[in-house]
Amino acid sequence: MGFRRFAIILTLLWLGVFVLAPHVLVVLTSVMTADPQHLVVWPLTLEPYARLWEPLYAEVFWRSLWLSALTTLICLLLGYPFAWIVAKLAPLRRGVVLFLLIVPFWTNSLIRTYALKLILGNKGLVNMLLVGMGIVDEPVELLYTGFAVVFGLTYMLLPFMVLPLVASFDKLEASLLEAASDLGAGFWQSFRHVILPLTMPGVIAGCLIVFLPAMGMFYVADLLGGAKNLLLGNVIRNQFLIVRDWPFGAAFSVTLIGLMALLLWLYFIANRRINRQGGLDDDGI
Amino acid sequence: MILRSLLAAALLVASAVVSAEEKVVVYNWSEYIPDGVLEDFTKETGIKVEYSTYENNEVMYSKLKLQKGKGYDIVVPSTYLVSKMRAEGLLHKIDKSKLSNLGNLDPKLLDKPYDPGNEYSIPYLWGSTGIGVNAAEIDLSTVTSWADLWDPKWKGKLLLTDDLREVFHMALKKNGFSTNTANPDEIKTAYEDLQKLMPNVRVFNADAPREPFLAGDVNLGMIWSGEANMAQKENKDIQYIYPKEGASFWIDNFAIPSGAEHVENAQKFIDYMLRPEVAKKVVEELGYSTPNLAAKKLLSKDVLNNRIIFPPDDALAKGEFQQDIGDAMKLYNDYWEKLKTGH
Amino acid sequence: MTGSRPFFKWTFLGSIFLWLYLPIVILVINSFNESRYGYDWKGFSLKWYEKLMGNEALMQAFLNSLLIATLAATFATVAGTLMSLALYRYQFPMKNAASGLLFVVMMSPDIVLAITFLVIFIALGIQLGFWSLLIAHITFCLPFVVITVYAQLKGFDKYLLEAAQDLGAGEWRIFRSIILPLILPAVVAGWLLSFTLSLDDVIISSFVTGPGFEILPIRVFSMVKVGVSPEVNVLATLLLAISLLLVTASTLLLKRRKVS
Repeated sequence: MGFRRFAIILTLLWLGVFVLAPHVLVVLTSVMTADPQHLVVWPLTLEPYARLWEPLYAEVFWRSLWLSALTTLICLLLGYPFAWIVAKLAPLRRGVVLFLLIVPFWTNSLIRTYALKLILGNKGLVNMLLVGMGIVDEPVELLYTGFAVVFGLTYMLLPFMVLPLVASFDKLEASLLEAASDLGAGFWQSFRHVILPLTMPGVIAGCLIVFLPAMGMFYVADLLGGAKNLLLGNVIRNQFLIVRDWPFGAAFSVTLIGLMALLLWLYFIANRRINRQGGLDDDGI
Repeated sequence: MILRSLLAAALLVASAVVSAEEKVVVYNWSEYIPDGVLEDFTKETGIKVEYSTYENNEVMYSKLKLQKGKGYDIVVPSTYLVSKMRAEGLLHKIDKSKLSNLGNLDPKLLDKPYDPGNEYSIPYLWGSTGIGVNAAEIDLSTVTSWADLWDPKWKGKLLLTDDLREVFHMALKKNGFSTNTANPDEIKTAYEDLQKLMPNVRVFNADAPREPFLAGDVNLGMIWSGEANMAQKENKDIQYIYPKEGASFWIDNFAIPSGAEHVENAQKFIDYMLRPEVAKKVVEELGYSTPNLAAKKLLSKDVLNNRIIFPPDDALAKGEFQQDIGDAMKLYNDYWEKLKTGH
Repeated sequence: MTGSRPFFKWTFLGSIFLWLYLPIVILVINSFNESRYGYDWKGFSLKWYEKLMGNEALMQAFLNSLLIATLAATFATVAGTLMSLALYRYQFPMKNAASGLLFVVMMSPDIVLAITFLVIFIALGIQLGFWSLLIAHITFCLPFVVITVYAQLKGFDKYLLEAAQDLGAGEWRIFRSIILPLILPAVVAGWLLSFTLSLDDVIISSFVTGPGFEILPIRVFSMVKVGVSPEVNVLATLLLAISLLLVTASTLLLKRRKVS
């Protein structure tokens, strides 16, 4: 009983003090009035929310959503086979490969981005190779394009897809696959009916922890993409730090979280309809 | 070593209780004071320097604002932020009688509108935002003004800094307005002009404008003087131009937050930084300009004649310093968002 | 992919690793480059290594970062595992709210979390520095652990647990001897993700830390004003070397144990 109570109390207390309380403040801030001298002042107002209806912000939202979705998809396409291969290695080798996967990400992201620029630039490695081999005459513009943005985001987030996936492949027992093939199931059949459903929780977990952070990311995207487009992260950061319109920044953030929660909720509903098992949660989240 | 930092952490908790030790807490950019200067200061005065870093003015401001000016003894805000923090009572008045080296400073850089009489701020380093050109690729004589950047032949070629005040500075100056204008019509005119500039932009750079120049990804665009100086050391072809309409100038200043606990030590620190030999070291290592006239006498001809570091008088006269513009910032940002979303 | 095509398999793994390590290799090379900016090779030099050894503040920040990341990842993994267990197995009031809050942490933009953490710490009277930093890092790592571990708990045989319960095993014993071994891969994954996140956080950290406790990312981002020094490349190289050394040593050790 002690263990159980400890787990529950820890959950509620930590989340209550360090998550709920701060976010109550965010919601409160979002209905206050901005003031250049004192950041926020009293009269409550819904004006910040009214300003969100600008079509411009819808564009920013869609762009961020599209970039995050694309990044998530690419991470999944690369990460799934990667995790599959890795999961089938002997335990020791698997440990080593996973460790090596994460090690590059312990390097400061700013200097890693600088290195990526050295690869993608007009006189970077890729262009040197392309021009050197005579594939193109003029350097191809890679840096400061939409391609560079997706490239950078995928680079940053790949391990976040792979690690939960590998864990989920772990449950896949070889005997199950043998049974399937004994029953005459081809590769695609056993993939669709055995492997995919069993690894689905890992897929969803991976997608969530790639997609959601990607929505707020902008620094790497700006450095590589040339900051020619606004992302949600830029807008919110500028409101808080440069314009110092905290209520509007807070309203923006609250709305973003609300919209994402709505998307997730729709997804889980649809998911539960389609198959009774496999969602991140059928009874909570 | 890990153990040592564990110990340091434990000490930190303990030091909250007993802090009799003489110290001064400096909140600044990292490496923005040359190697050895802090150590020498401690050796001479016995005052320990706790050096903490931030990555931009805005973070520093928000943090001080929320902490009601407490936590740090020295901060290094830029011009526009000095005027804002001063107005909001976030700064402590500096006792100038304690600054024996104040006379070293160039009167041309004192008593500016952002802090009349320099009651709250003492200039440390200054510089400008102008035009960078790679002379190996572009004929230098064709670029003399901000307006030249609007030429359609630079389509998809320019670098602009990712700083809305600086980008608007170009357009405001081009149209003959002040960079600190709050007049909605003038801001709108600048915005409409910037719309025409947008197709020329290859990249907005937020961290180090010299990088794309050095990497050969751009040959023309805005650049900070210090960055241009660094770039030139690596590639002689990269030139810095003070545009005809006037460059944007800034000064980073020492200031004491209103909640500072070691005001005396902070003033001693500022006075130390004003010494000619210290200021000389700062210029030589960081490549930004010093307001310290006494230090200039110690500098080599090479540094003194470097137009990037020390602009000609007429460039300084035509240029303008950024000030806080209060609520008008919202309007600027609205236009900025529009520019970036292609409206 | 099913083992019959090892060539394809290893090429795929190899190209992913090439992609991941190419930037790191560039950083390592540049840490030995005489040139400050690293666009050209200007000769072999150890000067950045020497400079780093003399840069006590940067070294200290690096060690502080490692310390915070290790502690934050460990606490977040322990707490996050318990939380996912609580969410998976137990019924308690406000359970849905709790899981919702975890998602909120993950969706909140950094700057919002940063400012609200600072406000809360000021309100609670927590001194800014080591502790505030640790608490903030644990909190933003938590959802990553919970989601990873929770996914592993799903698709779990509930009958197994019920059987154990019927046999009179206490919750702690069930957790330790049945659940933990099965979710261990996910727990390890959660730790690695947390460590990585914590090691690289800038915005939240710069708001919640105090003057006495500097960490590496803040110092590095702050360097952009005067140009990021190649000393940071040296740090990256050292960290890479240490990691590789660690992994080689542990592999050899494990292999030897197997043999004997």
